[in-house]
Amino acid sequence: MSKLKLNGVSKAYGATLALRRGDLEVMSGEVHVLMGSNGSGKSTLCKIIAGAVRPDAGKILIDDTPVTITGPRSARAQGIGIFYQELSLAAHRTVEENISLAALPVKSGVFVDRTALKERAARYILLFENVAGEGFSADALVGNLRPDQRQLVEIMKALASEAPLLIFDEPTSALDRAQVDRFFEILRDLKSRGRGIIFISHRMDEIKAIGDRVTIIRDGETIATLNLAETDAATVIRLMVGGAGDMPASQSSAPAAVDGKDGAALTVRGLSGRGFRNVSFEVARGEILGFGGLHGQGQSALLRAIFGAGSITAGEVLIGESRFDASSPRDAIRRGCAYVSGDRGRDGVISGRPIIENVTPIHYLRHRLMIARPRKLRDKVTPALESMHTKFASLFHPISSLSGGNQQKVIIARWLIDRPDVLLLDDPTKGIDLSAKADLFTLIRQLAAQGLGIVLYSSEDAELLGNANRILVFNGGSVTRELTGADRTRYNLYQAAYEAA
Amino acid sequence: MSQVVSRFLSFIRQPIIAALVLIVLLLYLGQMLSPGFASGGQILRLLIVASLLGIIAAGQNVVILGGREGIDLSVGGVVSLSAIIAGNVMNGADSGILPAIAACLAAGGFFGLLNGLGVTLLRIPPLVMTLGMLGVLQGLLVVIRMGIPSGQAAPALSRFVTQPLAFGIPGIIWLWIAIGVLMALMLNRTVFGHRIYAIGSNEHAAYMAGVPVRLIRIALFMLSGMFAAIAGLCLLGYSGTSFANVGEQYMLPSIIAVVFGGTSLAGGKGGYTGTMAGAVLLVILQSILTTINIDESGRQMVFGATLLLLMMFYGRGRAMRA
Amino acid sequence: MAETATIPRPRREGRIRKLLERYPFLPALVIVAALLALNGFFSPASLSYRALTGLLSTYMALILLSIAQTYVVYAGDIDLSAGAILSLVNVAIIVLMERWGGGAGAVLLALAIGLLLGLACGLVNGLVVAALRLQAIVATFATSIFFTGLALYILPVAGTPAPAIFWRTYGGRLFGVPFVFYVLAALIVLITVMSRTRLVTQLLAVGDDQQAAYQSGLPVIPVRIKGYVLCGLFSALAAFCITGDTASGDPLVGGKMTLYSVAAVVLGGSALSGGWGTVVGSLLGALTIGLINSVVFFMGTPSEWQNFVQGLAILVVLMAGVLAGRRARP
Repeated sequence: MSKLKLNGVSKAYGATLALRRGDLEVMSGEVHVLMGSNGSGKSTLCKIIAGAVRPDAGKILIDDTPVTITGPRSARAQGIGIFYQELSLAAHRTVEENISLAALPVKSGVFVDRTALKERAARYILLFENVAGEGFSADALVGNLRPDQRQLVEIMKALASEAPLLIFDEPTSALDRAQVDRFFEILRDLKSRGRGIIFISHRMDEIKAIGDRVTIIRDGETIATLNLAETDAATVIRLMVGGAGDMPASQSSAPAAVDGKDGAALTVRGLSGRGFRNVSFEVARGEILGFGGLHGQGQSALLRAIFGAGSITAGEVLIGESRFDASSPRDAIRRGCAYVSGDRGRDGVISGRPIIENVTPIHYLRHRLMIARPRKLRDKVTPALESMHTKFASLFHPISSLSGGNQQKVIIARWLIDRPDVLLLDDPTKGIDLSAKADLFTLIRQLAAQGLGIVLYSSEDAELLGNANRILVFNGGSVTRELTGADRTRYNLYQAAYEAA
Repeated sequence: MSQVVSRFLSFIRQPIIAALVLIVLLLYLGQMLSPGFASGGQILRLLIVASLLGIIAAGQNVVILGGREGIDLSVGGVVSLSAIIAGNVMNGADSGILPAIAACLAAGGFFGLLNGLGVTLLRIPPLVMTLGMLGVLQGLLVVIRMGIPSGQAAPALSRFVTQPLAFGIPGIIWLWIAIGVLMALMLNRTVFGHRIYAIGSNEHAAYMAGVPVRLIRIALFMLSGMFAAIAGLCLLGYSGTSFANVGEQYMLPSIIAVVFGGTSLAGGKGGYTGTMAGAVLLVILQSILTTINIDESGRQMVFGATLLLLMMFYGRGRAMRA
Repeated sequence: MAETATIPRPRREGRIRKLLERYPFLPALVIVAALLALNGFFSPASLSYRALTGLLSTYMALILLSIAQTYVVYAGDIDLSAGAILSLVNVAIIVLMERWGGGAGAVLLALAIGLLLGLACGLVNGLVVAALRLQAIVATFATSIFFTGLALYILPVAGTPAPAIFWRTYGGRLFGVPFVFYVLAALIVLITVMSRTRLVTQLLAVGDDQQAAYQSGLPVIPVRIKGYVLCGLFSALAAFCITGDTASGDPLVGGKMTLYSVAAVVLGGSALSGGWGTVVGSLLGALTIGLINSVVFFMGTPSEWQNFVQGLAILVVLMAGVLAGRRARP
């Protein structure tokens, strides 16, 4: 029977449509997988169910009865428990307090019942006995735990809700194999006891291992619901990316290799730092070097470190012929290095400020300007914005009035007014729509043709395969494989990413 | 029709418009309650007081705009200190005005620098750092006051603050207008101004775009100290002689003026024009309360309640459920 | 194990850190001990039973006010009206006790009403800040003006004396032990009991990450309101102590104490951003302020320099408190 049903749920944040039309039906006793690329609206959908986000429209039915969810408390009361992708933990509280945070056991009406708290925590900690790792205990402060351990606490917290419907939004991203296996045992047990489970993961093997059915979301819209036993990975991926994504590398226009006669734009030798170790590579002028591998294997950390925003403990970086060890992003920018982050909310967008102020900071810095003359700058800014077909009403409109893709174009445009020598792209297309992606990659290839050295890290294989001349596959903070020429296939990339697992 | 209404409502909800509308309403109300309240001379007197508050609020404004819970509680102490320093340096002589200005700006800049260094290098929350600095300044005031006489304002300074300078308007109001224009230019037309907004609205993004975050934040605290110093100097001219802790009463009102002007305490949003309106609004409100025939207690209660009401009109935080 | 997505960051271990994490008020305790030693060094008489009793009865009000402030700071809020609540309750109980004749029954009844008044003020603050979502700093400043107005209405000028029974009890002895020590003992019991309540854990969780607490299903708004109510109640208790100490009513007595209460909270190692701290730390922080004042006096600092040295010393320990507190936090 249907545990949860969503009909035409939508949500917009200002001009950005996070969820266009979300439909979903979850049965009791099934693990229902949600799939979709980053920014397709999965998390928004989950948060709407959990009451953390107010939907603009649509119906929610629990046990075939229409319900109104007024907030997280109301969702809990109606039997919904959730694992938040960004975690919802209190870092300065203990593991046991976090597990029961929403419903702390009380005695005499006002006091925390420590005995009950410990008992309850012990029950869920026991589920992960022997896999939780060193230093994990009921009275440890969550802030002192490793990322995987924190993720386990969030799992325990969701389980402790004992809710008939459980949502897990990427619960395994930091977990190791043993922890995932244990977690799946628990999920199977819950399933057998009739719970409905929504599960989000980007790992195909996990989805195959635990899922019963899959609902695919693309650009904020539910595309299809399939029975996992009757489908294969290729079909799912095709639905996710909308047909165009499964392009093999051989059909793309990315040349197999760049001869490198113009010399190296960026050279990295034996670089180690927090999150990566002993990485060496060279990017020739005009080359697009791809970084591949599973998310969080040191790619971002390395790019940030080169840009002067991370720690470097050993090794050296050269731009052109000269030593380049940027002490800060300011230093890096002055010497012709550019960095575009996919996390534009955190690293890029100066929210609430006009587009012009978002597009000019690099120009100001490189020319050591003191006076801002927006109208004079227009001639420099407009071509940069137009080279990517950025849609905007005027330069003086706030950047938040733009869609995610156009915001990212503005952020990239700030690097185009004065050409850098090296462009570092850190998953630049996260959460932007397909046409914006296409514009972006056209531009990146043009820039490469003009002689820039470009490093492209992307969490989407198709982007790497379609644009990178070479691909370095990262695993556990090091480069484990280099794919060149005809080796650049989806299969090889996939295999290299997982091979040490 | 309803669209017209809603457009009107959203227009009037703009803090600066709201403040201006309220100012006009309050002036009208004051005139009703006590004829002559909105006369030219009275309005000028109000504007003199407002400019004192407004100049302090300029510094408060930039510190708040710079974000990371930026706030400067030490402005009151700097105002008092500057009034004493100025009184002693000029000691009733016009020739001492320029040295006094230099001394006050140096003192204000110095304490601002200390605040800025504590906030950036040691990462002490601004509230704590400037609160501690306020204590130091108050102690310093006692030391200075015990050692030396309180000093006298130079006649030219008093004239500048209280007597008409041009077009019947006192110099301090011209100064305030000039500061207003300069602030608007700085915030909107200089790279420095854009960087203030950048660190206030997204410090990390600003850092990644090469903005020297720490230097700018230190500069903001120094600016705040220097504006407070100018206000202290003017305050001396206003009252002729300095007395203990004259500046303290301006500390929290300077924050309120900024908030009423539409600048968010979270940083990165707002400007100084609104703050000027906010300062005028506050001063008129206080002045009306003194003309009404109620005693001090009633005045305070009405003042507190009105402040709350006005805050409800704008400056509310975001709901947790998006 | 290559699937572990990130390389585990190196964990900062160490016994001192562990200790700090468990007892975040330790630096404050060390500072208090050092200040006591300094006091004893400059003037052995300042450590006498009598002198300490005096110190305690003078600073008990600040201690309670700092504790009051701590509960709102736990949740990441601040209350700039705490001192005004103290003033209001001070004049209210003074006037009531005088009007009702100053007997034991009148005193007790007046104290009960004082507590209710503190509660009501806290409730107003909570509604204004948490329910109406006004900025805590400016909103509680506005309410502080209102409360001060109310205090002035009740007692326009300072002066009405407290009934003898009240201040004699507070300043006197019971079974040979000064009354303030009973107050201190009761206070320690009270804050120990409080620290075990669900509310305190919820306040800390809200202060830790308000959005996360909300998404976890905590009733964030009621919790924050209750924090302000607690603050109001403890401010009323602080008012009782100041009334006992000064034996009179003063509608402006608490104005200056608000910022000291904030300083004491920071001195005690609590984070103003919320989620981390102890009430004991604030108690020690308030004592630190008292002891600094007394050290500066006994050191023989020239009288005109005393305020400056106090201010400087407080700034230095404030900074030390922030830095030590940051080391302790995970």
